Amino acid sequence: MTAKANALAQGFIRCHDCGYLVKTVDHPPSCPRCDSHLHARRPHSLQRTTALLFSSFFLYIPANIFPIMTVNQFGTGEPNTIAGGIIELIDSGMLPIGLLVLVASILVPSSKLIGIGLLLLCAHFRWQINARRWTVMYRVIAFVGRWSMLDIFMISILVDLVNFGAVQIIAGPAATAFASVVILTMFAAENFDPRLLWDNQKNL
Amino acid sequence: MNSTNYDACPECDLLLRSAQPKIGEKAHCPRCGLLLSRPRKQSVERTFALSIAGFILVFPANLLPMVGITILGNVNTGILLSGVVALFNEGMVAVAIVVFLASILFPLVHISLSLLISGHLYFNRHNRFLVGWMHWMHHLDEWVMLEVYMLGIIVACVKLMALAPLKFGWGLYAFIALIIITTMLTSGLDTGLFWQRIEQLTKENNHDS
Ligand SMILES: [Zn+2]
Ligand SMILES: [Zn+2]
Repeated sequence: MTAKANALAQGFIRCHDCGYLVKTVDHPPSCPRCDSHLHARRPHSLQRTTALLFSSFFLYIPANIFPIMTVNQFGTGEPNTIAGGIIELIDSGMLPIGLLVLVASILVPSSKLIGIGLLLLCAHFRWQINARRWTVMYRVIAFVGRWSMLDIFMISILVDLVNFGAVQIIAGPAATAFASVVILTMFAAENFDPRLLWDNQKNL
Repeated sequence: MNSTNYDACPECDLLLRSAQPKIGEKAHCPRCGLLLSRPRKQSVERTFALSIAGFILVFPANLLPMVGITILGNVNTGILLSGVVALFNEGMVAVAIVVFLASILFPLVHISLSLLISGHLYFNRHNRFLVGWMHWMHHLDEWVMLEVYMLGIIVACVKLMALAPLKFGWGLYAFIALIIITTMLTSGLDTGLFWQRIEQLTKENNHDS
């Protein structure tokens, strides 16, 4: 069941890669312009997105529990979790930067996990929603994801620069988990097909 | 219905009459509001020029020192690659690979592809790899994370300022210039126009042979 105004309902498939519009009655196996495979909707969109979402959800726990980096000063190590690093920034008077890291490393990943979860539920149970608003939500989720890598890049710089005999910064196991969460949620957003939301709407 | 007169919105699949907005105007999807196209003046020429500039800037941005720090009289300077190496030496192999790809390899490949494609279009040369290059560039778009890396530098510097004096090198300035160039490049690249030009070149080439 597809909404009447949709290209698919009227016999057209849009090439995912180059945007070329192809008539479905011709049954071309691939796009005449760029030769990529034609799919009306992203293949196995919901299954793939669900799998990626669950993996990132499980990795999100160690990413927040374990230290993301350890500061060794004159023999004593001080492990830092993601939240600990933010609190330290705010405590030392760097409120704007602390808030920036708070948004990029905590608010963005957690709202992304919830948001993709909601999108999946909505598409799966065919909720009747304001599809435009939900598409905008999808667009925001897809856009902000990469900014969470900030923390990982910052650690690579700190680990490189602060490497003196007495003072040293070492990356912790949470860094691997966190980087995986960011990448997996980026893939999850990429695999979700927002057109499914529109297909399910009965009154369009 | 002729399919070339129509377009479909990539995010809500609304069938639309092909919009040909004028240069400087924008076409939005009436149903979901997605920005469909925003033609730019001389997109091919502009992309070609920016790609050359970006390709040149990649080298100082990667090779010159970016940030230096002095602790107890010892100086440590970092470049893009040294962060990757430091992570690698600590055994954080996966993270090192991710940082390497997102901040060094993908930006380099992306700018090279855009240079190749816009160069071919600029000189009206056909190449059977043009389509493949377009696909690669499209897929890499999201994974070039220079702006995010820049934020990482800023946060790292704020943290380090409390610890020791910092010194900024030419590598950092080249890196900032590279970010400006790549941002202008991706925002000015008219994908629709590029695909049309490639299709045209392919047709002409098939006609000749
Ligand atoms: Zn195509
Ligand atoms: Zn739309």
